[in-house]
Parts: sequence; C-alpha cells; structure tokens
Amino acid sequence: MKNLSKYLATRILLTIPMLLILLTVVFLVLRVLPGDPISAMLGDHAPPAYVAEKKHELGLDKPIWQQYGEYLWQLAHFDLGRSMILNEDVIAPVLEKLPATIELTFVSLLVALAIGVTLGAWAAKHRRSPGDYAARLYGNIVYCIPVFWMGLLLQMIFGVGLDWLPVAGRVGSRVITSDFEMTGFYLFDTLAKGDIGAFTDVGLHLILPALTLGVTLSGIFLRLTRANMLDSLKSDFVLAARARGLSETKVVYGHALGNAFVPVLTMLGLEFAVLLAGAILTETTFSWPGMGRLLLERIYLRDYPTVQGVIVIFALFVSLISLIVDIVHALIDPRVKY
Amino acid sequence: MSPTTDKLRPPTPAGLLGRGLNAFSLAGKKYGAEWYIFLAGLLIVCFMIFMTLFPWLFTSFNPSDQNAGPQLAAPAGVHLMGTDNLGRDIWSRMVWGAQTILGVAFAAALMSSFIGIPLGLLSGFVGGPLDRVLSLTMDSIYSFPGLILAIAFAAMLGPGVVNITLAVAVIYIPTYFRLVRGQTISIREELYVEAAQVLGAKRWTILGRYIFPNVIATTVVIFSVNIADAIMTEAALSYIGLGLPAGIPDWGMDLSMGKKFLPSGSWWLITFPGMMIMILALGFTLLGEGLAELLNPKLLEK
Amino acid sequence: MKKLAVFFLALALVPFGAFAAPKTLVYGTTEKVTDIDNASTWDFHTWEYFQNISAGLLTYKDGSSDLVPALAEKYTVNKAGDEYTFTLRKGLKFSNGNPLDAAAVKWTIDRVVALKGDPVSLVTDYVDTVTVKDPLTVVFKLKSPTGYFPALIATPPYFPQDPKTFPVDKVVHDPSGLASGQFPATGPYKLTSYKRDQEAIFELNPNYYGPKGKVDRIIIRYFADATTLRLSLDKGEVDLAFKTLNPADIDAESKNPKVKTFKLDGVFIRYVAFETSESVFKDKTLRQAFAYLIDRADLNKKVYLGQNKPLYSMIPEGMAYRYPTFKALGDGNVAKAEALLTKAGYSKAKPFEFDLWYTTSHYGDAEVNQAEVLKAQLEKTPLVKVTLKTAEWATYKQQWDKKQMPVFLLGWYPDYIDPDDFSAVFTSTEASKGNGVYFSSKVWDDLYVTERTSADTKIRDAAFKKVQNLWTDDVPTIPLWQGSLYVFTKPNVDNVVTNASMLLLYDKLTLK
Repeated sequence: MKNLSKYLATRILLTIPMLLILLTVVFLVLRVLPGDPISAMLGDHAPPAYVAEKKHELGLDKPIWQQYGEYLWQLAHFDLGRSMILNEDVIAPVLEKLPATIELTFVSLLVALAIGVTLGAWAAKHRRSPGDYAARLYGNIVYCIPVFWMGLLLQMIFGVGLDWLPVAGRVGSRVITSDFEMTGFYLFDTLAKGDIGAFTDVGLHLILPALTLGVTLSGIFLRLTRANMLDSLKSDFVLAARARGLSETKVVYGHALGNAFVPVLTMLGLEFAVLLAGAILTETTFSWPGMGRLLLERIYLRDYPTVQGVIVIFALFVSLISLIVDIVHALIDPRVKY
Repeated sequence: MSPTTDKLRPPTPAGLLGRGLNAFSLAGKKYGAEWYIFLAGLLIVCFMIFMTLFPWLFTSFNPSDQNAGPQLAAPAGVHLMGTDNLGRDIWSRMVWGAQTILGVAFAAALMSSFIGIPLGLLSGFVGGPLDRVLSLTMDSIYSFPGLILAIAFAAMLGPGVVNITLAVAVIYIPTYFRLVRGQTISIREELYVEAAQVLGAKRWTILGRYIFPNVIATTVVIFSVNIADAIMTEAALSYIGLGLPAGIPDWGMDLSMGKKFLPSGSWWLITFPGMMIMILALGFTLLGEGLAELLNPKLLEK
Repeated sequence: MKKLAVFFLALALVPFGAFAAPKTLVYGTTEKVTDIDNASTWDFHTWEYFQNISAGLLTYKDGSSDLVPALAEKYTVNKAGDEYTFTLRKGLKFSNGNPLDAAAVKWTIDRVVALKGDPVSLVTDYVDTVTVKDPLTVVFKLKSPTGYFPALIATPPYFPQDPKTFPVDKVVHDPSGLASGQFPATGPYKLTSYKRDQEAIFELNPNYYGPKGKVDRIIIRYFADATTLRLSLDKGEVDLAFKTLNPADIDAESKNPKVKTFKLDGVFIRYVAFETSESVFKDKTLRQAFAYLIDRADLNKKVYLGQNKPLYSMIPEGMAYRYPTFKALGDGNVAKAEALLTKAGYSKAKPFEFDLWYTTSHYGDAEVNQAEVLKAQLEKTPLVKVTLKTAEWATYKQQWDKKQMPVFLLGWYPDYIDPDDFSAVFTSTEASKGNGVYFSSKVWDDLYVTERTSADTKIRDAAFKKVQNLWTDDVPTIPLWQGSLYVFTKPNVDNVVTNASMLLLYDKLTLK
C-alpha cells in the first residue's frame, strides 16, 4: 500500500505538467483566433473609443506572455477567472453545465458497458461461430457510425416518426427546473424531491442521447472484452477452474469475465476521452445543455476565460477518471505492483 | 510440373486468372474470416478511391446545380438519393463530396505520420530528457479528447480545406509518436540490433537499416485505421459548422443542413450523407484490421 | 407525452392551491438575451423584454407607427424643433413601489450616456441636455432639430429606470446584479425569474399605468435550434413559437390545422453590403453589375419558399417616402451585367473573381443556402467567378471593421421607425463605417442633413426620393428582401400583435 500511495502521488503530480501543456496550447490557440470578445459582445454600433476602453478593462491590450502569466497565477489559486462576455465567474456556468454532461456520460457509459461486455464475452465464448463474426461486425459498424448521425437517426425514428420519446433538452417545456434543482443531477434531484412525474420526464429525455452515445461506444468495449476474454479463457486459472469441475457458464461468466474485466477497466481511463468527445457531439444533436454546448457557444463568442476554464475542467475530469481507474485496478487486482 | 517449366511457359489470361483464384482461395483457407474482412475493406476503399478519382463516371449531375431537379424530391428515378432543398442532386453531392472528406482525411493522416513517426523514432532511440519531454507532451495531448482540440484549432484557423486538414492532423500526431516510440525501444533492445552496435555500426545506420523498416510495417496498419478516425473527425467538424465554407460538397455539412429537415420528414437528407461517412470509415477500419490480423495478430489487441 | 405535460402543468400550479389556476402561456424561441440593461442592450429580443417590462414616455399606437403618450401624459415641442417638454402621469410607480418621477427620467439618460454602452449613439447623437423642471416635467434639449425625435423616445435606451435599484456606474447583466435582485418594472409585466438561455418567467405588474394583460404568467423557453422548437410546437409543449423557425418548417406549420399562424409583415430587411473604399468593389460599375445579376424572386422561392417579399429599396414597404428604384434594374439581368463587366475589362478568359462572405451564426440556418443561391445567380454569366467565404459573427464584425471583406451579407432591424433609419445608417459618411460600407459622398450627406432637420413632409420626401435614385447608380448596398415574421400558436392563443418596430406585445395576448 505504501508503494501505491507513492505511485498515486507521482501520478497526481504528473497531471500538473499535463494540464500546463494543454493550457498553453489552448491559450495560444485562442489568442491567435481572429475575432475577439469585444467585437462579439458589443453590437454593430460601438464607438471605437469605447472598444479600446473595454479592451483595456479586460486586459486584452497587454502582451500575450503577460496575460498568460497572470492566468496561470490565477489558476494556481484555484480561480478560473471571470467571463469576458458575461458578467459572471467562469465557474458559474461550468458548475451549472457539468452535472448535465456527467449525467449523460455516466448513463451512456453504463449502456456501452452493458452492451459491449455482454456481447464481447458471448462472442469470445463462441469464438469463430457465425455469432462471433456477427458480434464483431456489429462492433466495427457501430464504431464507424458517426455519433451525431446515430443521434439524428434515433431522433428521426423514435422522436419524429413514432413520436415515442422527446428529442431535445433535459426536461419538457412545462417542467420548471427551479422547482427541484439542487445538485444539477436531475435524476437525483427529482427523486430526492419525490417528484416522480418530473423524474419520469427527465428519464425520458435521457433515453435517446444516452442510447446514442452508449451504442456507438459499445463497439470499443465489445472488442476489448472479447480480446481479453480470449486471453483469459486460455489462462491457467480458467483451466484450473474447469479442472475443478465448475460449470462452463460459471467458468466463462464468473472467472474468465471477472479476469478479463480488469484490462477493460484499465482501458476505460483512456476511452473516457473518446466518451467526452462523443458527448460534445451528442449534446449538439440533442440540444443538451452541457459542457460541450458551453464550449462551442463560448468559442464562437471568443470568451477566452470560459473556453480555457472548460478545457481545464475537461482535462481534470479525464485525469481524475484515469486516477480512479488506476486505484480501483490496484485494489481489485493483487498482481499489480508499483 | 516443376516450377522452372512453369515460369518458361508464357502465361495465358485464363491461367493467370486461375492462379489468382487459387491463391485467393488458399489465402481464404489459411487466414479464415480475417481474409474476407480484409477483402471487404479493400473493396470499399478501392471503390471509394475510384469514385474520388473519376466522379464524372458515377453521376451526370453537377453537385452545385440548383436546377438538377425539383426542391426536396424524395429518392426516385434519376435522383437516386433525392434532391435537397435547393434542388441539387444528393447522389452527385455524395460522389463529389467523397473527394473532400477522403482528401482531407488522407492528407491529415499523412501529415500527422510525417511528424509523429520521426519524433517517435528520435524519442525512442535517443532517450533521456528529450524523450521524457516529448513523451509527456504527446501523452498529454493523447489523453485529452482529440475532438475538443480539433474544435479549438478549427475555430482558430477558420473554415477552409487546408485549415480543417491541419486541425485534424494535429490531434493524431501522438498516435504515431506513441506507437513508433514503443516499437523503437523494443527493437533497440533486440539481440541483432545490439550485435550491430557492438560491431561498430553507426547510430544513423542502425536507425535507418534496422529500426525504421520494422517500424514502418506497423505504421501502415495504423495509417489505415487512422484514416477512418480522421474521416469521422472531419465529418464531426463539418457537422458542427467548423469545416468548410459552402460551395464545396461535403458530407458532414450536408448532414448538418439536412438536420433542419428532420421534422418535415425529408429522411433522405439525413440518411445518405451519414451512411456514406459510415461506409467509408468502415472500409478503412476493416482494411486496417484485416491487415493487422494478417501481418501481426497482436497489434490491435494492445 | 401529452398526458404527462398536463400533469406537469398541474404540478406547476400547486403553489396556487385552491385559487383559480393562473393562465400560463409557454413561449418558445431560439433568440438570446444580451444584457437586461437598457444602457447596454441593442438587439431585437432584449428590446422585446424592455417593451414589456418597461415603458417609454411615448409609445406606438396599436397597429400604426404614430406615437401616443405613455408614461408621459402629453408633450410639447418648441418652434425651432429642438426642445421637447414632457409631462409625466401622476402617481407613477415601479413594480417595487418606488416612485417614477422626472428625476428618474433624467437619471436614466445620464446613466446611458455615462456607461457608453452599445446604444449610446441613439441618445448622444441627438440629446444635448435633459433638465428636470419639476417632479412631473422633464425637458430634452436637442443638439439640432430632429423631426423624428418622438420615435427615438419610444426606444428602450430612453425608458426610465429606477435610480434606487440600478447601479449608476456599471452595466447590469441580469436581475441578479440589481440591488434588490428584481427588475423594477414599469411595463405591463414584471420579470420574476430568469435563467440565461433556459427560461424567463413574466407575471403581471400590479403597478402598471395601463390596462392589465390578459395572461397571468408567460414563460419563455429558450431553444438551442429551430428544429427543436418546431418539434416542441408539434408536441404541444409550447403554446407559442416565435423567432425563428426554418423556412421548411414555416411552410409545414402554415398548413398544419392544429396550429394557428400569425404572419406579421415586418420592416426587417436583408441586403448586400460592399466595402466601397478600398476593395475590388471600389469601382461602382462592378457594384452595378452585381445589382443587375441578383434575382430576388428566385432567391425568395429557393431559400425562403416564398415567405419573404423581394425588396427594391433599402426603405421597406410600410415606411413613408419609399421609392423602389431597384425595380428599374430588373432581376437576373445578365445581358446588362455582362455589358458592364466587359466595359470594366473582364472577359470569359479573365473573369471577375471575388470572395462573397456570409456568416452562419447570426442569421439562422438558411443563410448558407442564401449564399449558395447568390453564388449561382452571379455565376449565370461566365464573366464572374465567386468564392464563398464564411466566418463566425465575432470574426465577421472584426473583418468588416478592417475592410477585409469586399462584399458581404447583412441584415437590419430598425431602431426607430423613420426612413432615416433605413438610409443614413448605411450610407452617411459617419454611419456607413459602422456597417463596413465606408461610403462617403458630400451629395448624400447633404441630403441627409436636409431630411433630418426638417419636419416638412414635402422637403423630406424630395430628399429621400433623391437618395433612393442615387442608390441605383452608386450602389453602396443592394436590398434583397423584406422579412415577414411568423408566429405559430396553439388554437387557444389569440391576439398576437407587435408594435411598429416588430416587438411582440405580451399584454395583448389572450389565452382561452
């Protein structure tokens, strides 16, 4: 355990240069972008003197390296700064939108795991059967389906054609969110308030986006599970389990799958980045008020601090997940040594 | 019949075909389904490339012709995939749009491999602080959602073919870097390389003669899979409006334009561009996967 | 879903318990609010807020562009036409109970001027000083006589605000930045809850001077895109959808028997703007050729499915002193254009090549199509080769400031209802910079001075006629079309009306 904590400390320290590199890239990219927050914010008629004054007020007239230094100093104090477009702290919209994105990605991940792991394990057990090839073909096809197209197809079929499910937003137009909003995780909030009607509404709104993202990602998990299951099925301890006379189902879905799940879990850390990228596109398609939409809107407005803030949060989020995955990995797999 | 006599006889077309078919079924037997996966991928890719090179063979309509047909006509007759809201023929836009997406994806993959491979070789071969700095940088970019970076770059550069290519290329550099670096390190420690070193071979000779050829074989596989990813990224950028200006047929943009007609039931505007993106990406994925299985079954499972 | 919706509606009404359920109307839109502060905002949707939660000294009479007293009981003008004296109604109060007097009127104008926000020129271009004569009387001294000053008085920068609630030295972004956290309303409604880009809730203002609105509560839902708004309307989740559905959806909904359509003819215009000082279009022959090539009917049919009106003068239908001079140029007049281009030295071998710019993030989804159709129309002649270029709104604006776009597409909503706001704003030497046109001509400027300083309709008519005749020769801009606004509602909604400047009036709405 001592080694583990040492390893974790190193890991956490390593996220700092990682964040720094990403930030530098994003900071430079944003400053080189044509257009600036002032012209995005003010209308068509602003007098030039006022524009200059505004620029000065926001510190946009300082040299880039100075702006950069000041920004890092701010970050070191856990301050994401203030928006340049709206009169708010960057953290405000982030806190408002982050739960929406987490809720979506979490449920999608469950969908992806449920489909991917089940099919993958099944395909490995029936290796080289037609079913195996069908499962693998499914994996390849869903991997190649653009997530936004999947979203549009589902909207077209279940939202417009059959009129079964809502196609946009987190709640219906007549549900007033301020009635139950606490944490921003609407599934939780509505339940906590005991508002079953609103809970159902929130759940219904979540189905199509989560299915979209979940299904497109299930291909990756299918492939991973299958490959690892194949290894695992050949391993000594599965042979041993078989030798002990355990039933085949127990051997496959109990021992082998449990064993194969560890590397799948490890990959989860890396796949999380893919998941977030998919979430941005899904949010755009389903008008989901999350971080992805926030990022795109603020890029158009050239709201530098908010865009940087969103990227920092994304990067932290990715690092955090991979850290958690590592810890869980270490705890459940005694063979891992650091 | 000995092989020598076989060589002497001039090959007839039928003989060639027979031999080809023979080799084909032999390969099928030897490699099983992987062979057919590879073939399916190859077929799709070849077809698409052919379409890109000779679009006029596939359609007689100009993709920008706003009088190709009535506005918003459902697929029927001469308009295989229907027409869009300005009366342009969708199939012709799909045919000509293949040039855009394939061109961008191919150029982007080439560009990122041209940067990623040398850096990976250098990093793996030289080691030391340079390796550490490069690895950390590449790992940072790699672990971050690539699309978000591409969005930032595309927004910075503004719409345009070259710009979108650059935006896509940037995010795949670490893919090549990591692969090549890893391979370089493991090959560097192989016995024959160490032997060559002991025998006094120059560093550049070792890099050029022993390491590079080994590395390049595996990058070919990754290249194909990478094109599939680049296709999806290009389409995604176009879809969210950061891709190309109007006037150039582009599948991702057609899809985002078609999205507006979702409630009015013009399903063909959404269905076909998405299907094309999927088929093209699938072609390269299958090709890459087939290649990987045929060349080195362990590669993709890592 | 419908049952659920009813259920939620019932839930939302629980706090009102046993009393009669308040009439609630859900209004869906794709618009965005900027700052809920009249010193800073200058956009269509936020002005709609102000029209309904604030009031001016004067207001437009229902269904006309005549101005009638509102917060003011009456007003007088001096003989020279440069001094306006307003007498306020007695006992006016903000929704929070604070009194509204002449001092508040002056305080508001001073604040707008001091904060130098976006709409400041609507005040500073005209007003010299404001003085409080007594608690009910306020005097505006103008810089020069302005015949249409009453129309300016009816715009939000002139709407009196509460000095005790608004901070004097900074712009307020939304009500949370106000001293009490609540916007002090003077209009028929007050804003009771506001979540940016999500929802806004309006309730009746008990202290409003005029007749009460008929709907107790109006909830605005903000939609990310037009497609979603249309689907919500179909599913009955919104009672009213306004601004802006896509042309295809407008077409479909107009024929939908379950939905009521209100077509409001508007004075919103779209036009082509040239950079006339340095770009390739410095040569007016080329601008004329461009004007000949445009085919408005084709554009309207292809992109907007016939929902808008072709526009042949920058001054739209419904305005005084309008002369549709561009009609004389015809539509899609390729022969005339080719003659001009040949004269300018272009040929098939050496076509006139230029970039046409459009922006995707400001004028809705159909803008791309508009650019594509214009390109096709211009390229009807082999002497022209167009490359389409696009930029985000923020970049677009910066580029027209820097004269980087030779020709680009723009639109215009009026600020005050006067032909001056459809002519001088584009082409007077001073104002045309603001639209990236950089046009300057002594003849035009003199005509604008004549028109501005006179209240005589004959003199003004002659000046505007001359300007519109000059327009087809100099072609600093080309009018394309005049927009109609479509409001779609459920069958139980009625009385959807706007004032002369196209702002939706909430207090007129009825709900059965």
